[in-house]
Amino acid sequence: MTPSADNAALVAGVGMTPFVGFRDDASVRDMVADAARAAVIDAGLSSPSPIDMGVAAYESDHFNRQMSLGQVLSDTVGLTGKPVMRVEGGGATGALAIRTALMALRSGEARSVLVFGGETNGRSVDRATAIEILSLSADFEWETPVFGTFAAPYALMITEHMRRYGTTEEQFAEIAVKNRRMAIDNPLAHRGMSITVEDVRTSAPLSDPYRLFDASLLSDGAAAMLLATEDWARQHSPNFTDRPPVAILASASATDRPRLSDRTDEMFPHFAAKRRAAAHAYREAGIDDPPGQIDLAEVYDSFSGAELQAYEDLGLCPVGQGGPAASEGRFDQGGKVVVNPSGGLMGRGSAVGATGIAQAVEVVSQLRGEIAGARQVPGARIGMTDTHAGVGSLCVVNVFGRLG
Amino acid sequence: MRITGTERETGPDGRPVYLLGVEMAQRYRHAVGSSSPFYIGLEQGVLRATRCAGCGASWFPPRRFCEEDLTETEWYDLPGTGTVVAATRVHSPPPFGGIDPPYILASIRLDGVRGGITHRVIGAQTPERGAAVTVKFIDGAPAHPLLAFAFAIEGASP
Repeated sequence: MTPSADNAALVAGVGMTPFVGFRDDASVRDMVADAARAAVIDAGLSSPSPIDMGVAAYESDHFNRQMSLGQVLSDTVGLTGKPVMRVEGGGATGALAIRTALMALRSGEARSVLVFGGETNGRSVDRATAIEILSLSADFEWETPVFGTFAAPYALMITEHMRRYGTTEEQFAEIAVKNRRMAIDNPLAHRGMSITVEDVRTSAPLSDPYRLFDASLLSDGAAAMLLATEDWARQHSPNFTDRPPVAILASASATDRPRLSDRTDEMFPHFAAKRRAAAHAYREAGIDDPPGQIDLAEVYDSFSGAELQAYEDLGLCPVGQGGPAASEGRFDQGGKVVVNPSGGLMGRGSAVGATGIAQAVEVVSQLRGEIAGARQVPGARIGMTDTHAGVGSLCVVNVFGRLG
Repeated sequence: MRITGTERETGPDGRPVYLLGVEMAQRYRHAVGSSSPFYIGLEQGVLRATRCAGCGASWFPPRRFCEEDLTETEWYDLPGTGTVVAATRVHSPPPFGGIDPPYILASIRLDGVRGGITHRVIGAQTPERGAAVTVKFIDGAPAHPLLAFAFAIEGASP
């Protein structure tokens, strides 16, 4: 398939900070400033002044300690005077911000949009406070009072997946091992690790069958992306002709019942909204054979088993085959589709507002062929990002392609 | 809000950095609003749900109106029985406390209503899918009103 630039938004520039456990030298606005500056410089601009609008991505006032942070960040990145909006979609926040920018470009409201997101999810709060804030991610009236950990609803989903399809703990532990290994070679990653399936299975229990190493990291970090129409890029981005352009080929979003127990028996172990969003995005991008056409995917591995389930719901393998696919390393380095070459949320880490943008930064860097070393997926032409809020209540799938 | 202290550290590039210790505590009066009959029902030892006065479709958790035809819903009592869809043993306490870990949490399909609840199952045994459960109201003041009840596996020794 040759991706078409029709109706496409070009990625003019990308930037991100390293994801770390705690930045004692930077506030969230410092990190967003660094990421946004890097994205604007990456586009070859000497000033942000030609940029039409901003989209700020962050999830939580509780973590960031600043209301109306969107305006503060907009000022920090040099867009004062320009329109800005804040976008929030739980774990999908960053990806939803990119989708919002795309909508602004397609509508003609803007010719260039700077998307910037950040979060201080790391150790600026102690563990008890972090757990308390994160417990608000569940339904406060019906779930929070009984959820000892946010691993619990994920554990319920994977338990049914195991019963129905014979999926094993070792199979999803393989994903925890893979993503942490991938992160070792990513200089921007929070924590790459060389661990074994046994290390995963003997780490501290969270909510059976999930253990500590099945879970993702909470990070401090920021990421940014400058999106533009081709006309704008030709006019303002001197780097536009220096390298193969990368475009957003498709973006789709869908929702599901936020409370797990409201979902149907049939779909209980699956991310219905992910299936819907992926199907929509693939149709828009002209993808009819996802594993054959997609070279890499940054997948929302909030828990190891969630990546396994996503293989199926994103159409990268048949339903029920996520387990064997994981144990065979089908989505590891050298696989037909490389999943989470950045290390994912388990290795690169997760700073919620930045996460979906950081995934996109990785995909764009891969499609440009700019990744140093073995992490580079050879000849990558199409890559996608997958994020979700809650346990899949809101899903966003963004597909990127290298043109020419 | 208060400042608990300040710190000076050496940043990664060798330059000094400054940090503030901040403490905030929030207090709320959280209106459960249209779910009030459910909470009041708990004090009377009954689980309640809503159903559409028009088409009869039922909803748990309760809904203000039927999402099929927008008719306002009415309240009715549930039998308090259900079936386990999936269960997990949780190893940390819930945010309001009130349950000592490890404890069993299950997604339960409730009888007499479309929908279900994720809630605690009494005992140390993780039930299988399909296990029949019955609501049990617990004596004493709960840490959260929703913890005034839990579910017991039918046939399990108390």
